[in-house]
Amino acid sequence: MKVMLNTIFQRHWNPYVVLLIAGLLSALYFGLTSTVWAVTGEFTRLGGDILLLLGVNVSDWQYYEMVKLKGSTWNRPDGWIVWGMFIGALMMVLLSNSFKIRLPQQKRRYVQGFVGGIIAGFGARLALGCNLAAFFTGVPQFSLHSWIFIIATGIGTFFGAKLTKMLWWKGRPSLARGAAQPSKVKARVIQPYLGAAIAIAYIGLMVYFFATGQKLLGLGALFGLAFGILIERGQICFTSAFRDLFLVGRSLMAKAIIVGMAASSVLTLIVISIYDLNPITQIAALSTFVGGVLFGLGIVMASGCETGMMYRLMEGQVLFLPVFVGNIIGATLLAYAWDHLGIYNVLVKSGAKINLLDAIGPVGAILSTLAMLGMLYALTVYRERNYHRHFELKRAAK
Amino acid sequence: MQTHKEADFTLDLRGESCPYPVIYTLEALEGMKKGELLQVITDCPGSFRNVPEEAIAHGYTFAQEPVKNGQEYLFYIYA
Repeated sequence: MKVMLNTIFQRHWNPYVVLLIAGLLSALYFGLTSTVWAVTGEFTRLGGDILLLLGVNVSDWQYYEMVKLKGSTWNRPDGWIVWGMFIGALMMVLLSNSFKIRLPQQKRRYVQGFVGGIIAGFGARLALGCNLAAFFTGVPQFSLHSWIFIIATGIGTFFGAKLTKMLWWKGRPSLARGAAQPSKVKARVIQPYLGAAIAIAYIGLMVYFFATGQKLLGLGALFGLAFGILIERGQICFTSAFRDLFLVGRSLMAKAIIVGMAASSVLTLIVISIYDLNPITQIAALSTFVGGVLFGLGIVMASGCETGMMYRLMEGQVLFLPVFVGNIIGATLLAYAWDHLGIYNVLVKSGAKINLLDAIGPVGAILSTLAMLGMLYALTVYRERNYHRHFELKRAAK
Repeated sequence: MQTHKEADFTLDLRGESCPYPVIYTLEALEGMKKGELLQVITDCPGSFRNVPEEAIAHGYTFAQEPVKNGQEYLFYIYA
């Protein structure tokens, strides 16, 4: 029992296992609700809610018509995906006694997080999805826009990683001579009790949703919770998948994400054919590429994407408060610019919704998707080896 | 917990989020003489895994097992 508790709460879970489960759950969620695991659409709606509260009439903004700004966030399944993720992450943080207010030593991080958050929020919504709907849950829907988005995110992240390495950006660490004392550990442990209380209250809420016939809200709350638990325990970080490959030749997260997407693609195809569902296809256009590059750059500047930001904030990493605010501002700015500043006409209008299932049939779609993922995997391994070969040479020359 | 040898340098990264703990740690190790001991104090949960794994992947060795100290970790790495 103690061993099991230790494995669940004291250690972080293997990212491969976590992303496999997340990939399978998101296919299942699609089968049950015909929507996908996504977060930034809801961030845009939250921005709309706030503007409405401030007396700004957004009802005629085209973007809000498209993403269906209706009711409050508590009455939207997508809303409960977001809040469920926050609560699931917080629950696990508390149960594992790992909450701590963490204030960055480098004050510049707050500015970097805020600006990066705005760019990432703007880019994600321009491309119609973040690392989820245009990436992790977009590829399994066979929507071509997610292929463009992945390439573009890679490019954006590459420049972000270059920026991260500059001294004025990263700042000097506090390297001191000699040994230093670690923090004193508090003897009284109360976090797990708080975590358990939140878990019980949340289960009550889900029971209420299902008992009162609000099935979609209940499913949103349930799957949101599961995704929140998974990303926190697995420390799933899409930002690091590309970035760390460029920075230090680290490949773990990229490989795990690719494996998770492959499993999710296969299961989604099965779900689509059994239940005869329509896959969710977004417009592939110049906006997808531009949005992806901005998103890639923004998430590295902010040190986290719209998903990773959520559990880090719950861990007490204060840096991610300005990132969250930035994400919502960026998404809302895009919603405004969509029709008011002509972004739709310039970048989106000429595009088309292309789904591989319609274009080349189910067999072609799954084979080409798996081939594309296989190629990404090979590139990841190549980059990792290349990095370490160069590093060895540099070390030997020293 | 007894350390075998007093650390030559300490990198206090408490409060810093990823990827800066990894970047700082690798840079500090690169700037030190071979055999010197670096103590790293970090509280970013992502760094509990990527700092030790990358230190090893970059050819450095650990003086002792990582120490979990409440919500932070202590690493002792030879340059």
